[in-house]
Amino acid sequence: MLRFITRRTFGAVVTLVIIAAVTFFLFFAVPADPARLACGKVCPPELLEQARHNLGLDQPLFAQFVSWLSGIFVGRDYEGLGHCSAPCLGYSFVNKAPVLGTILDRLPLTISLTIGAAVIFFIFGVATGIIAALRQGKALDKIASVSSLIGASVQIYFVGTLALYFLVYQNHILRQPKYVPFTENPLSWAAGLLLPWIVLALIFTANYTRMTRSTMVEQLGEDYVRTARAKGMSARSVVMRFALRGTLTPIVTILGIDLGALIGGAIITETTFGLQGVGQLSIRAVTSSDLPMLMATVLVAAGAIVVFNIIVDIMYAFIDPRVRLS
Amino acid sequence: MSTPFLSVRDLTVDFHTEDGVVHAVNGLSFDVEKGTTLGIVGESGSGKSVTNLTVLGLHNPENTTISGEIRLDGDELIGASRSSMEKLRGNKVAMIFQDPLTSLSPYHTIGKQIGEVYRKHKGASRAEARDRAIEMLTRVGIPQPKTRVDDYPHQFSGGMRQRAMIAMALVCDPDLLIADEPTTALDVTVQAQILDLLKNLQDEMGTSIILITHDLGVVANTAHDVLVMYAGRAVERGTVKEVLHEPRHPYTWGLLGSMPRLSSAVDVPLLPVRGTPPSLLNVPPGCPFHPRCDYVKLAGPELCRSERPELSPHRGHGDACYLTLAQKREIHK
Amino acid sequence: MTVRTRSAVAALAIGVLAMTSACAEGNQGAPAASGDTPGATAPTAAYKPPTITVGTADDSKGPAIAPEGAVKGGTVTMLDRDDFSHFDPAQIYINTEANFNRLIGRALTGYKRITAGDFKLVGDLATDTGTPSDGGKTWTFTLKDGVKWQDGTPITSEDVKWSMERTFASFITQGPTYVQQWLTDVDYKKAYQGPYDGKSLDSIETPDDKTIVYKFKTPHADASYAFAMAGYGIVPKAKDTKEKYDKEPFSSGPYIIKSHLVDKSIDLERNPNWDPATDPIRGAYPDKWHMEFGQEALQINDRLIADSGADQTAMTFYASVPPERLQQVLGDSSLASRRLNSPSPYGNYYYFNLDRMKDPKVRQAINFAWPSKQIQQTLGGPAAAALPTTILNENTTVGYQSYDLFNKVAKPDGDIEKAKELLASSSNPTPTVVYAYNQTPVQEQVTVVIKNALEKAGIKVVAKPLDRKTYYDSIGKVQNEFDLYWGGWGADWPSGSTVLPIIFGPVSDGAPNYSHLKDPAITAEMDKITAMTDIDAANAAWMALDKKIQETITPLVVAENKIATTLHGSKVGGAEIDPQQWIVQPDTIFVKP
Repeated sequence: MLRFITRRTFGAVVTLVIIAAVTFFLFFAVPADPARLACGKVCPPELLEQARHNLGLDQPLFAQFVSWLSGIFVGRDYEGLGHCSAPCLGYSFVNKAPVLGTILDRLPLTISLTIGAAVIFFIFGVATGIIAALRQGKALDKIASVSSLIGASVQIYFVGTLALYFLVYQNHILRQPKYVPFTENPLSWAAGLLLPWIVLALIFTANYTRMTRSTMVEQLGEDYVRTARAKGMSARSVVMRFALRGTLTPIVTILGIDLGALIGGAIITETTFGLQGVGQLSIRAVTSSDLPMLMATVLVAAGAIVVFNIIVDIMYAFIDPRVRLS
Repeated sequence: MSTPFLSVRDLTVDFHTEDGVVHAVNGLSFDVEKGTTLGIVGESGSGKSVTNLTVLGLHNPENTTISGEIRLDGDELIGASRSSMEKLRGNKVAMIFQDPLTSLSPYHTIGKQIGEVYRKHKGASRAEARDRAIEMLTRVGIPQPKTRVDDYPHQFSGGMRQRAMIAMALVCDPDLLIADEPTTALDVTVQAQILDLLKNLQDEMGTSIILITHDLGVVANTAHDVLVMYAGRAVERGTVKEVLHEPRHPYTWGLLGSMPRLSSAVDVPLLPVRGTPPSLLNVPPGCPFHPRCDYVKLAGPELCRSERPELSPHRGHGDACYLTLAQKREIHK
Repeated sequence: MTVRTRSAVAALAIGVLAMTSACAEGNQGAPAASGDTPGATAPTAAYKPPTITVGTADDSKGPAIAPEGAVKGGTVTMLDRDDFSHFDPAQIYINTEANFNRLIGRALTGYKRITAGDFKLVGDLATDTGTPSDGGKTWTFTLKDGVKWQDGTPITSEDVKWSMERTFASFITQGPTYVQQWLTDVDYKKAYQGPYDGKSLDSIETPDDKTIVYKFKTPHADASYAFAMAGYGIVPKAKDTKEKYDKEPFSSGPYIIKSHLVDKSIDLERNPNWDPATDPIRGAYPDKWHMEFGQEALQINDRLIADSGADQTAMTFYASVPPERLQQVLGDSSLASRRLNSPSPYGNYYYFNLDRMKDPKVRQAINFAWPSKQIQQTLGGPAAAALPTTILNENTTVGYQSYDLFNKVAKPDGDIEKAKELLASSSNPTPTVVYAYNQTPVQEQVTVVIKNALEKAGIKVVAKPLDRKTYYDSIGKVQNEFDLYWGGWGADWPSGSTVLPIIFGPVSDGAPNYSHLKDPAITAEMDKITAMTDIDAANAAWMALDKKIQETITPLVVAENKIATTLHGSKVGGAEIDPQQWIVQPDTIFVKP
């Protein structure tokens, strides 16, 4: 297992460096010039050159990438701003704050948002999926199928805006989404993120219901489940101990993908609810051509996908001994 | 003669599907005596597996109608409560299945799967259950049972898996063991070992066995009595000796003809039964076998096509065919 | 690089657009542009542009004139999408940042609100608006008594001098550049590299702690206006941390930043060393300001519409009502008392590329045929867009005089007959015009309207959509392939002097002279007005030149001017949109008890 994790971690680092390089060079492939944004309303060429120099953009492209990359491992010095110790992701072009600090400041929100919602939609989705599978063709099964279709077709932005309008602004049933660190007050943490969690859960649960249902139906038809019943295992034990194990394998795969996508795609969720997480940072970085911040947010998003992939693989091993031992 | 240990009377099982009603079992009756083995033989789709799942109540109650009687040691099983059936399964009546790889849970160790049956029915502790699992593995001939008890099914070979399956079935000393094609998925040498194992365990424990198979060879070596099924009905019944040596039903003849014999030359082609089994959605009128039967003319086409032959005589060696006994003897020769 | 998305829109209008690459339109702050929903129901009373005059030394005395009902105390909540990127005044050009800076920083001069729509330029730190001498080349200011930094140390002329000197340093690239050029040269960064290596700028003198003298190379009658720009706010010599000052400003205004969580919130508390008696501009009524960032304009406005609980004391500087909510907000009379509106102070133009469109008669014909009214409808009706007729904007021009060369008042739909007449007598009665536009959904619609109208007059329009990221780069190229395109510019103080010499200034790639106008007579006229020492005469001359340029050259079509509608909570008093900055200013805000 240790070797597996080591190997995967190494692979992940290589992947991230490649992604970083692609992002970096793509950034310069589009014509937007961050130096022009750092230059005043009337921007004569001298001032533009000065701004370019201040941002380090007057260096050759490859040299810029190398110093960015080496900054992560050994830190770098910045004229006027001082030393940025490793791991140094640079200073934001926009607000001159160290990128790493900003990212670390935002990441807990994005992770809380994602994990919290995931816990809700995973538990609800799997639970309703099981129930639907056990009541095939009955009303509950049909409700689950229809709501999964609805869930799959609505957008966070749409549901979120409606929910904010009716639940928060108009009727004050829930409060304005707000992030309070878990360590500060777990209750406020949960209360502040409740609305986005519910909205995300509303959209995602149905998919898990649908998948759990169909996989569970399949699993209930498996020989080993029949064996369990033939052994006299109770109906609950047959479902929870036997059929569920097999059901979880594909569900966990999707969960891994969804978690990665949720962190990578936090832009929409966070924009909708006005939460200042990594997603908002990334959109800001793009619109303001803030290269260091953009690089960092891309790394976080890519890193999340890579990490969740590794976690999914480890989860597989826990769920299915055949994976563990082969 | 006392009442048989298992007595099935007029069992009829219908499945309601989208395509219509599947008449899986139709008026089936048979008995199994204590300590004996009944071989149920037939092609796939003849209703032999369904019959036995019904005995254990493992059919889907949503779409199944059952009528008739299934008495186990005098108790009626049709319509019994779920909890009493749960208590029965794995305890008084156990079952082993055809493919031990898919029939064992890939997610749990062999020891756990055996032990949990013991814990469930005997209220044993974890440790006791583990000891019992090791004991059972020893009995079914698994080498190094103390270490193998913690292995997963995929770490076992095919034969060992079926041994483990048998260990699991017998862990509570059941009175009746239903073995559904227990050797079909195994290679020939292993088949023999498994059948020997079943036989020995039966001698040791006095368990009644229902052995479901499509292979008359397996029956010849293991069973005391035989029931030949076709299209959800019994077409011939008798002792092994009677059925294998003096088969009376054209279908049984066909089955015997399709059986490979070690004595016959390798290049002699097997003679399978002509045609295909009928759809159970739409069983032909009259004798269900008549479309595949070579002797309709001899027995009387009118009768064969219109009226269903009953199993006769009621006791002993019986068959369901309009040919006269003399005709049957003549043809079989 | 401050130009974040929201600012982008502001900047866009101000003209920094040239670089905003990001989302050009349809973002927060972009006033209503709601597709094809015409007929806003709000009463469209004739808009009265602000009057701006120069105040006396008496006017420059504190405290500020309180708006009706003003009370001190309480906490006001300000909601906006974007945080402020810059606190170092020398890096401030964008209106949102300038607006925030009013709370924590002061400058030599500033605009004092007398009543709604009536402003006076007065001394802020200075006792008056400065005394010109040497024919307007030398300007002398005297600092007021009792003006202090947040630590209680007095603000000295040395600090004021230092603040100007440091704008020459290499790390300052974003603020205004007028005064630097007046003091040295056009390429001012070459002339002087800032004070950090010990060299000081000789053209600024500080004979004593209270007196500061600026010596310009040429006369500048409007210097007292220039010093009112946020970019010329003061920075203490003793606390100057260079680049880092942008993150840790030292207050000279009524508030101190108590906490700042980047992109999340800012909390302000009172600066005990700010004396209202020295400040004629800032009312500073609330005890505290709480600012929250991160919500989209739509959500901010939904909160303000709902006006519940804590949001009753909330307002927004810049998140004006987005198109999705505009009709609802304008149609709801219960919102009337919480609704502000103001047309933008920016100049918006459809520039002709004079290198390609050489016949003035064709340019005039297009002006006559222009479907102003239909464009206005497309943008959301008269409540969402105004139809100006002059190059200079009424909000930012002292001595504004309207004129109507192309008969827009009488025929806002366009005068096709007149256009046809002109075309018939031109070099090409059926010209083809390549119209380049920023490819946004709204601009797509507007383009169709323009195309249809011009084609009625016999002008063939070839519409060229441009990618919004590179729109300004494309039209900024002198050798571009287009005949007509939209661009904007905003005045830096209420005078033609910060508009006409720039949009008709030097022609080069990226420069804001998008029409490539190079007329020696016009250039000479602009130089002459710039040199005038009588500011009123200068303002009148700019206004006259505006008309003359449109009459004799017609380098552009004056575009529609967007109108911002902004809401505030029911317990917020004194909210007004600053007509020059197009943003709700903090000076008069108070919390109703």
